[in-house]
Amino acid sequence: MSDVLFVTPGMSPREIVDRVRALPGVCFTSTGMRDAGQSDYKNRLRYYDLATLAPYYNRMGLFSAECHGGARWHVGIMNRRESPFDEILFLREKMPNVLLQTLVRETNLWGYRPYPKNVIEHVVRNVDIDVWRCFSFLNDIRNMRVVAEVVMKRDRLFSPAISFTQADWADNKYYMSVVKDIVALCGGTEEIILTIKDMAGVGSPARIGSLVDAIKQAYPDMVIQYHRHATDGLALPALLAAARAGAKILDVEEDSLTRFYGQAPMLAVQAYLEESGIPVHLNRREAEAAVQKVREWINQYHWAESPFKGSDHNVLRHKMPGGAFPSSFEQAEKGGFLHLMPAILKVMSLYNQIIKYFDVTPGSQITWTTCSGIVNRYAKARGEAGVKHLTSLLERFVIAKNQDFNAMDENEQQELLKLFRNAPGDFKNLLLGQYGKLPMGWPDEWVYKSAFGREWQKAMANREEESPLDLLPDEDLEAERKKLAEELGREPNESEFILYLMHPKDALDYLKFKERFGEAPYVLPTNVWREGLKKTGDKVEFEINGKPFCIELVSIGAEHEGIIHVIMRVNNKMRVYTVHTPRVKKTEVRMAKAENEVGSPINGTLWRLGNPQRGAIKPGDIVHKGEEIANIEAMKMETAVLAPYDAQVVEVSVKLNEVVKEGQLLFVLQPSEQ
Amino acid sequence: MLTSGPTFRLPRTSGFFFNIQFGVVEPGQHALLLRWEVMEMVQRIKRILVANRGVPAVRIMHTCIDRKISTVAVYSTPDRLAHHVTTADFAVHIGEGPPGVSYLNMDKIIDAAKKSNADAIHPGWGFLAENAEFARRVQDAGLIWIGPSPEVISLLGDKIQAKAVVEKAGVPTIPGIINVKSAQDVIRWMKEENIEYPIMVKASAGGGGKGMVKVEKDSELPQALARVRSEAKKSFGDDKVLVEKYIERGRHIEVQVVADNHGNVVHLCERECTIQRRNQKIIEEAPSPSLTPELREEMCRKAVALMKAIGYTNAGTVEFLFDSATRKYYFLEVNARLQVEHGITELITGLDIVGIMIDVAEGRKLPFTQKDIHPNRWALEVRLNAEDPRTFNPSFGWLTRLAEPHGPSVRISSGVYEGAEIPPYYDSLLMLIMAAGADRADAIRVMDRSLSRNLRVEGVKTLAPLLLSIIRHPLFIKGEFSTRFIEENMADLISSFVEKDDEDEALKVAKYVAEISALGPQDWM
Repeated sequence: MSDVLFVTPGMSPREIVDRVRALPGVCFTSTGMRDAGQSDYKNRLRYYDLATLAPYYNRMGLFSAECHGGARWHVGIMNRRESPFDEILFLREKMPNVLLQTLVRETNLWGYRPYPKNVIEHVVRNVDIDVWRCFSFLNDIRNMRVVAEVVMKRDRLFSPAISFTQADWADNKYYMSVVKDIVALCGGTEEIILTIKDMAGVGSPARIGSLVDAIKQAYPDMVIQYHRHATDGLALPALLAAARAGAKILDVEEDSLTRFYGQAPMLAVQAYLEESGIPVHLNRREAEAAVQKVREWINQYHWAESPFKGSDHNVLRHKMPGGAFPSSFEQAEKGGFLHLMPAILKVMSLYNQIIKYFDVTPGSQITWTTCSGIVNRYAKARGEAGVKHLTSLLERFVIAKNQDFNAMDENEQQELLKLFRNAPGDFKNLLLGQYGKLPMGWPDEWVYKSAFGREWQKAMANREEESPLDLLPDEDLEAERKKLAEELGREPNESEFILYLMHPKDALDYLKFKERFGEAPYVLPTNVWREGLKKTGDKVEFEINGKPFCIELVSIGAEHEGIIHVIMRVNNKMRVYTVHTPRVKKTEVRMAKAENEVGSPINGTLWRLGNPQRGAIKPGDIVHKGEEIANIEAMKMETAVLAPYDAQVVEVSVKLNEVVKEGQLLFVLQPSEQ
Repeated sequence: MLTSGPTFRLPRTSGFFFNIQFGVVEPGQHALLLRWEVMEMVQRIKRILVANRGVPAVRIMHTCIDRKISTVAVYSTPDRLAHHVTTADFAVHIGEGPPGVSYLNMDKIIDAAKKSNADAIHPGWGFLAENAEFARRVQDAGLIWIGPSPEVISLLGDKIQAKAVVEKAGVPTIPGIINVKSAQDVIRWMKEENIEYPIMVKASAGGGGKGMVKVEKDSELPQALARVRSEAKKSFGDDKVLVEKYIERGRHIEVQVVADNHGNVVHLCERECTIQRRNQKIIEEAPSPSLTPELREEMCRKAVALMKAIGYTNAGTVEFLFDSATRKYYFLEVNARLQVEHGITELITGLDIVGIMIDVAEGRKLPFTQKDIHPNRWALEVRLNAEDPRTFNPSFGWLTRLAEPHGPSVRISSGVYEGAEIPPYYDSLLMLIMAAGADRADAIRVMDRSLSRNLRVEGVKTLAPLLLSIIRHPLFIKGEFSTRFIEENMADLISSFVEKDDEDEALKVAKYVAEISALGPQDWM
């Protein structure tokens, strides 16, 4: 048993790296508690169920359990109402032998926009994680600096990841330059594990074998981990190829969790590799038990699965990452444009040849919102014919004309120049270098003309060459803490503060939920969590501090004037609960019509009025042309609303955090006299 | 030697009794002595109408129940299911919600007393408790008024009159000027008496924190006078105004006095009522942590002297403002009624003040003298008001959950029950929580347990979080505070309940289960 547990929390990074190197074959990271759920179940797998795997993980001989970070963090507070901090605490107790692993997006950490340096330092310093896998969607290694420094200083294991895609421009020479940057940043190969992050599942066996081999040639001591999604259907041979070339750690998940877009099934991978002569470090009996355990609860998550099922070898073209699959489809379904998905994927496969970066958060969201926005716009204006026209225009430009803008005719050029006009603010930020350097350099001039219109030259001149780490001014953490304290009416603890730093609005929602419903997300079984008790006599039992509690449904009344009375026996005591049914508010939406009215550019949430420099905007304020006067968030992306001219604000027509419709009136302005 | 035994009352004529006391011989004397003692003329009370609601009404009824006196509640329409109504033996509806047409309606209350065959009225505190006209009309209707005489109430109701009597009795009063006509009067007086700002402008007929304005400089004075005058006119129908020196960081210390109709006046020691918000007390304790034994003795003696000089009868309180910097005390006012905080005096003395009030109203002599009073405990009281603990805005609605504190050394005086509705018309007091102990630290510990672990209120907001953070505040624990303690430490004090118990947590889970059971899967999931 003790040799099964070859690495445990508390070991120094160097010791961990040495132990992995010393293994005769390969070992596994289980993504069962994070990426598996993200890729096939929209991150909805609850701690209540995942925790049942912990005792097996504790004896399985894993390298690590990826149980934290990525989108699980944000979805946790928004949709599962679980705190990533509680989760760490509970898992430490239930599987003390296992290295807990997170996934961070360099300067974006667990959010979707670059955070200032002092925020990154503060957060990384205060989260109890053993293995920090860190990637940049631009492979801009400069952006990893602060995370790397803090993690290594804390004596935790830093695992820099290179974002991998398969494209003609993404050759070994390119990746080796990225690896070189990483080695320079981390001061060698002794204390890190290098991850190849194949987030879309596109690495063909030959391609991935060649890359691992190239890295091992240059850095024979480098411990390489291969993180691969299964989308293309070729995960197993690709994992074998990576192991043969010298990768030591492979990411896998429970076979019974495996669907289409997550990682490969662990029992199958073990069997396949061992048959091929590569020893796999895994306590098979415990792994089998974990696989079996999953079957006890996985059927409760049908509703969370992606509406598109099945492997998709065309992922090589559209490159949608496994982790984004279910959520993108979910958004398409909610937005009523599921039928446009094939066209959107097609546009994505052309778009990613025009603007080259890696489709992983936040890049994948930028790609998704930009492309789905363009397709929707054409569909709205000209229906199916419009969508067809769009794809053929782009195909002609990218494939037939090899992106030679001047080779397109006048009308086509005009159309391309409008392609990105309504693109989200974050797309424009990307072009401006706000996220870092693009891996293959800035896109062509016409893209700027298309995105920025008359301001294109200014935009190009303003492109930022430096890392956002060196650009963003530090945030006043104490002021932020005070703000949160005011919202809560009490001093927040460190975990609450970090939730707030990452996602201010969602963290507040979550904390309010927690105040009302306490431990409900952790103690209720999934069927009750989702659907409640259904008929008289239905019971749910749970413990708090070892004390048993029992809730039994007596009756649910009929709705009357927006109220339903629920009678339950709570530990034998009869209680009546008054539940208010959500009313459909019939408020008339005012649209921006007149010249001096500013409408919302998109459907979304108005999460900021004014801008950080000047604060909120109120009637009577003077705004200047081009100044940001509001910001709308939709699908994790921000879009700035700019003042169209110098003016005085006559009316602010919406409230902060209001959900607004495209074209909805935001401001009434009085243009300043010239 | 005789010790007092059970008292039997033999009927003489209608409603009058002789008191006959049986004495029991101490062991060793081997003889039983029977002594007939003709006591004073006593008018026995059989049924009391309590002209109040909520906490005071229930409190008074408890003593009545102890003494087998039947009780009549009066109630307004929104109070028809209130706690005091169900506690009483009989109840009479006296009008709609607004106090003016119900609890302040003298005709209806006296009518109710007659209709229900009550022979006495106890006014509680608030409403008509210090209304001389009401006391007079109760008596004129042939009913017993449980409280000081209408003459005394009327004398004390006028601050200017009262001040003169007090000064005559040798009790120090705050330097001030009465019958102020103009700002000029005030400025002249300040010069003559060498008084400096700040000063306080008060309505002569005011009380309870109403009709008071603090003035910091000459320029504010005319406006303040005008404001108090108009407020006084509106609230009390009397626009007489007086001005006093403002004692910075003063403390409120009051002496509980009981007096019978036979000239006996006894004090039951003092209470400290310094912790206030918006000039209204929220935490009281007995004894006061800020007095030396000598000072205590002196203040209590002065209080008795004053009450004697006034000719006060029944229970009342002499309030002083204590300047801890100079160790000087000044007369503030006499509260001619039962006070909210009387319970802590009962806890430290073992007496029942409401019982004494009934005794005195029946015409009995006080059953003790000053030398019998030996407080031997420390008691603390908090007022659990249905208010937002940050803004002090009243909070209305249904008490969906109520768990009252329990355990050793706790006394609860409640006006509500789980499920009760808190109507918007009245005082926001839900419940008084009292804690006793051998010393102050002990009493604080008991109060801490009561507030943090036992008390649970849902449905309306209460002051509980603020009260808890006050009794945990280092300055409170040290006993170093003034009437401005809350405003000066508000930021520090605002905190929520930190302790939670498992039942709370389970109920939160249950609330979630109820909601989802009723509504099904939610969009946000």
